[in-house]
Amino acid sequence: MTVLAPVPVLPQVHEHPVPWRPMARVTWLQHRGGLMGVLALFCACALAIVLERFTAPSHASSLLIRFASPDAFTLLVSVIQLFPVVIGVFVGAPLISRELESGAFRFTWTQGVGRTRFVITTLVVLAGFTVTSACVLGALLGWYIHSFEVVGVQSQWQSGLFNATPVTLAAWALFALVLGTFLGALIGRTVTAMAATAVGGVALVAASNLDLVHRLLGVAPLVTSRIPPMSMAIGTLNSTSYAGGTLSGGWLVRGWVTGTGGRELNRLAAYNVMDHVQTAVIHGLTDPTRWLSLHHDAFWMSYQPASRFWIFQGVEAVVLIGLAVLFSFATVRCIRGRARA
Amino acid sequence: MNVVETSGLGKRYHSTWALRDCTLAIPAGHVVALVGPNGAGKTTLLHCAVGLLTATTGKVTVLGDLEAGSLDALERVAFVAQDAPLYRHLSVQAMLGVARNLNRRFDEEQAERRLHTLDIPPDRKVGKLSGGQQAQLALTLALARHPDLLVLDEPVARLDPLARHDFMALVVTAVAEDGLSVLFSSHVISELERVADYLILLTHGQVQMAGEIDELLAGHTVLSGPAEESGAVTERFPVVQSQLAGRHAQLLVRTNGRSDPPAGWESDDVSLEELVLAYLREPSASTLPGPLNFMGNCTTEVVL
Repeated sequence: MTVLAPVPVLPQVHEHPVPWRPMARVTWLQHRGGLMGVLALFCACALAIVLERFTAPSHASSLLIRFASPDAFTLLVSVIQLFPVVIGVFVGAPLISRELESGAFRFTWTQGVGRTRFVITTLVVLAGFTVTSACVLGALLGWYIHSFEVVGVQSQWQSGLFNATPVTLAAWALFALVLGTFLGALIGRTVTAMAATAVGGVALVAASNLDLVHRLLGVAPLVTSRIPPMSMAIGTLNSTSYAGGTLSGGWLVRGWVTGTGGRELNRLAAYNVMDHVQTAVIHGLTDPTRWLSLHHDAFWMSYQPASRFWIFQGVEAVVLIGLAVLFSFATVRCIRGRARA
Repeated sequence: MNVVETSGLGKRYHSTWALRDCTLAIPAGHVVALVGPNGAGKTTLLHCAVGLLTATTGKVTVLGDLEAGSLDALERVAFVAQDAPLYRHLSVQAMLGVARNLNRRFDEEQAERRLHTLDIPPDRKVGKLSGGQQAQLALTLALARHPDLLVLDEPVARLDPLARHDFMALVVTAVAEDGLSVLFSSHVISELERVADYLILLTHGQVQMAGEIDELLAGHTVLSGPAEESGAVTERFPVVQSQLAGRHAQLLVRTNGRSDPPAGWESDDVSLEELVLAYLREPSASTLPGPLNFMGNCTTEVVL
């Protein structure tokens, strides 16, 4: 059969083939299942926080009693900390791996929008959703623990809570989303990518809580010798300075004792000095700092003042966002590289 | 204008070459059938043409000089992949929405009209459609983009005869209405003659035969005569395939414009199926037009 047909006049082709807004609608159509799941988890967490907050007693002693049996609190904080991982596993990991596994990429990547723009737009839309939901969840958690903070039993400096403020939780959600997307693009198998994201995400959250946050908060601390050494420990502290103290609301990094000539005493000698101070206080000493000075000793402490809290929040967020950007580039390179596979 | 033009195109997967030194030019306005045995490199060639794969060597351009896979090319080239992969969890209507939002040129009214004609319910999940309906939906989505080039990879491979007929009828109708060029790969040779007017035969990753089907058929003939005189025939005509039955020989030859058979020999027209099968059985035989001098000056040669 011979087809006799004129070659049509070709219309002008625009530089940017498809606007962003229609692309957002495509993202919603494709991922509404996963997004609804995340939204359901978000609503469940939010509801739990609100119920916990409104059923919490208003006076301090009752709060302390409630804190002594912290099952609900611990569970709530743990779930919220894992919220970014859930996003990474159920939204990020299947994003590209499902396309590759089902072969649907042969449809999507040959549409007028092009594969790079398609993936970037999808990521941006999903990132907007996850960052917003994580931010609101972090704010709700902050509102919930504020009542514990004012009576000095909780602090947002603590590593678990430090990663669950509106700023850091949103940054973690973004990072987990992009990490999952990258692993999905790299592995190309949905279930494997989800498992890898779950393992990687949980490992990173745990590493951050147990070590990385402490390392971050140990950067460039202030140092003072004006703190009364009473009830203070020697060595690495990594603890909160609760309300009422000189460093109220700050983060204590390390304590040590210096002797004659400003030389740091070893742990045994330092505890000897502290014991002497304790004994002197029991016998009526009112100014332990001056007492130490008279004995050519001094108790020192490095700390982060309360005013630096949001600076460190910003630093952690910038690191996570930077990693998310790097993984985004790696994802784009990966899907472009699929053409060379 | 050539709708697809390759020059020394090669694609290697690890240590295996799926395509090697593939040079061809497909002129606009044709329905082109790409045939070849399994593993010949048909899908690889089509994926290179739509930008899903990039070449290891050489280059491929579409619709004149557009780089395959570039945004300009994607705007004007529609592709229906093997097994018509779509989003199975979406409804047909949602799938239309996806396609509409992923393309600047998308005729949703036309698509809805076609789906209505094909009796495909818009609220049905794609995964619940039959194989034929999924293929029709994929083709409808591709045609609604008003492409200048439609690329189809084994579009009827898993369809029953009726669905196959309906699918190809839709392609032919679109060609007649929109004047688009079509490049499709197929194993179903019986479909080719009815639909295609240009043939490319790919074997072992290389183009073995390419040209307009009418010219290819006119350029070949089947000569039947005494076996002991076949030597005289082979001196005059390049033989693609020979079959001996006792003292009788049947030779499929390329005539090179000479139509007079030798004395004592009968000449018969060759069918497209016979021609394709003959070349498939003789991978060393080839007849190729030069890719760059297609317009009236194509070089055709036979190597045996």
